[in-house]
Amino acid sequence: MIDFAFLADTLLKLLAALPTTLTLFFGSLVLGLALSLGIVTMRVSRWPFLSYPARFYIMLFRGTPLLVQMFLIYYGLGQFPAIRESFAWVVLRSPYGCAVVSLALCTAGYTAEIIRGGLQSVPHGQIEAGLAIGMSRWELLRRIIGPVTLRQALPAYSTEAILLVKSTALASLVTVWDVTGVAQQIIQRTYRTMEVFFCAALIYLVLNFLIVRAVAWLEHRLTPHLRERPSGPVVKAPASTATPS
Amino acid sequence: MNLQSPTALAVSNIQKSFGDAHVLKGISLDAHKGDVISILGASGSGKSTFLRCINLLETPDDGTISLDGETIEMKRHRDGRLLPGNARQVERMRSRLGMVFQSFNLWSHMTVLQNVIEGPLRVLKRPRAECIEEAEQLLHKVGLYDRRDYYPAHLSGGQQQRVAIARALAMNPQVMLFDEPTSALDPELVGEVLRVMRSLAEEGRTMLVVTHEMGFARHVSNRVVYMHGGVIDAQGTPGELFEGLPTERFRQFVSSHQQRNTD
Amino acid sequence: MNILQLLSFGDNGWGMALLKAAGMTVVLTLAALLVGAVFGSLVAAAKLSRKRTLRWLGDLYSILFRGIPELLIIYLFYFGGATVVSAVGHWFGAEGYIDMPPFLVGAIAVGLISGSYQAEVFRGAYLAVAKGELEAALAIGMPKALRIRRVLIPQILRYALPGLGNVMQMSLKDSALISVIGLVELMRASQVAAGSTRQYFTFYIVGGVIYLILTGLSGRLFHMAEARVRRTQRRNPGQS
Repeated sequence: MIDFAFLADTLLKLLAALPTTLTLFFGSLVLGLALSLGIVTMRVSRWPFLSYPARFYIMLFRGTPLLVQMFLIYYGLGQFPAIRESFAWVVLRSPYGCAVVSLALCTAGYTAEIIRGGLQSVPHGQIEAGLAIGMSRWELLRRIIGPVTLRQALPAYSTEAILLVKSTALASLVTVWDVTGVAQQIIQRTYRTMEVFFCAALIYLVLNFLIVRAVAWLEHRLTPHLRERPSGPVVKAPASTATPS
Repeated sequence: MNLQSPTALAVSNIQKSFGDAHVLKGISLDAHKGDVISILGASGSGKSTFLRCINLLETPDDGTISLDGETIEMKRHRDGRLLPGNARQVERMRSRLGMVFQSFNLWSHMTVLQNVIEGPLRVLKRPRAECIEEAEQLLHKVGLYDRRDYYPAHLSGGQQQRVAIARALAMNPQVMLFDEPTSALDPELVGEVLRVMRSLAEEGRTMLVVTHEMGFARHVSNRVVYMHGGVIDAQGTPGELFEGLPTERFRQFVSSHQQRNTD
Repeated sequence: MNILQLLSFGDNGWGMALLKAAGMTVVLTLAALLVGAVFGSLVAAAKLSRKRTLRWLGDLYSILFRGIPELLIIYLFYFGGATVVSAVGHWFGAEGYIDMPPFLVGAIAVGLISGSYQAEVFRGAYLAVAKGELEAALAIGMPKALRIRRVLIPQILRYALPGLGNVMQMSLKDSALISVIGLVELMRASQVAAGSTRQYFTFYIVGGVIYLILTGLSGRLFHMAEARVRRTQRRNPGQS
């Protein structure tokens, strides 16, 4: 029947590779997010010399397969002595470094578009109200545009986070031993595809589930204004006047 | 017109075009302290555009704006556009001009109370406790203290607009600008907002109100300005305008409005 | 050899190989999209059904094919398929390990994945169809089959076009993963060319550019189709 021993053994082997997958994910998530803020700022700028390069970047990373990007960085960049001698080589020398850089660059492109969508959906009237009260552009960004954009972009961003988790699997193709890499190795050695697939898929599905819950929790925290109205007058408590992020 | 009151707001020769449409053809207006000026006109007469030029939500193509004697610096750009010269000054001026919008424009991610304290707290940089205390007083005044922890989405249009008025008042503005404050409201909610506006007028607030509410123009304001085709067609006290009916256009305007709403 | 020689169409150049591979990519993607359209419609119907079991099955399909890495799904069908096929073959007396044809595996794997996204597009499109138009058809006594054919489906296609454009671009990019099971599509060709000439940078850039052209063309095509459909719709008074 079902070979529980094999399943357990496989699961353990795969879980041993989970930290690699997780660090790939979080590393590229954070880097990509930081980079995307820069890109979207350029993208929405008035100056063509800023917005066009940003547009190009976004088109590039959304129009080509991640695999091509990753191979380009891993195999292609190493060709140039200039790169091998630069400080970047410390990172680019290792498959893991290349994978993180590649994932980050890719997700930055998608995230920039998500943020831009959020920015465009901020109701213009609320911006005018901020201006009319005498808010500086910085205040406006921090108190009105930022918070509303964040809330609008969260659902789309959770989708992007899931895509990023799936994308980490490609690192196995540049010799990084993540969950998928180990899974493929076990399959090729034992030919027991179904069981290994089941274990690996399970791990990724649980990961996705956790991410979806985390974002849902965040959304819940940030959007009391979209929920049911409170019943009756609320007794004043100091916490209720805490200003939102 | 109270000649002894200082000029709170002096606006001179405002011109504004949108592409080929010359919407404002030289509007000048002086508001003295305590004036309640109703600005009337058909749609497209430029009245909202004029109001929005005062706090530079629209940039006029020509003209000057002075608040309490201080004129807003404008610089002429290379391509002919007029731009505010000093961003800080504009922010400062705006903080002294309160605006109430037709679509309320409350900040949806903040509660009523947070909406009202945002300006004094972040722009005027006053201490939080003070802002909250004053905000609560203002909310009492507009009758919405009980809803201070609600979000705008949970309030009716009339309630949102009253909060918007409290929000504008919280900045203690020298002049308040109302851009068709009741036009987006269901008829039964218009009254509550007009009541608040009336009490503000009775307190002596300087107000410029673009409106279709003839009753307000006639009974609450002390000056009426009628705009047509980008210029001021008639202006004066409510008596001079509504009884005197000085121009043909204004007469037509009033009669067409009387057919629509009651005083 | 310089770049022009590398990419030339002669015997020493890789130009022809890359072009043929690009063609394979397109064919593979179209095959996958077809598979996806079939499964996508089924799953969309399941998700919209009144029966809870069907909805649950539809959700399950989505969770699986949108949540599991594409690479794993490809491995599943490739190695798993080969195991099944080999077992069947042994039963018939064949010997040894029988491979699954990479094109078939690719079309099925990318197709099933694409199907889960197409399901969302179809479902959204169905929900967006103005009920009023269906009611009007009902009111003049149009029979159900005709209503579906003349009102529902054209409307669904109209609303689904933008989403389908995205799915096509996505599948074009997913097809690159089929390179790992040996199919000579664009990614694999670039890889082979790069490895054999050691000009990695050049060939991956060229490969990338060709993908860019493919996704760009696909986007343009859908754009034109959307504009076409919008034009025919706008003659309808009262339509946005």
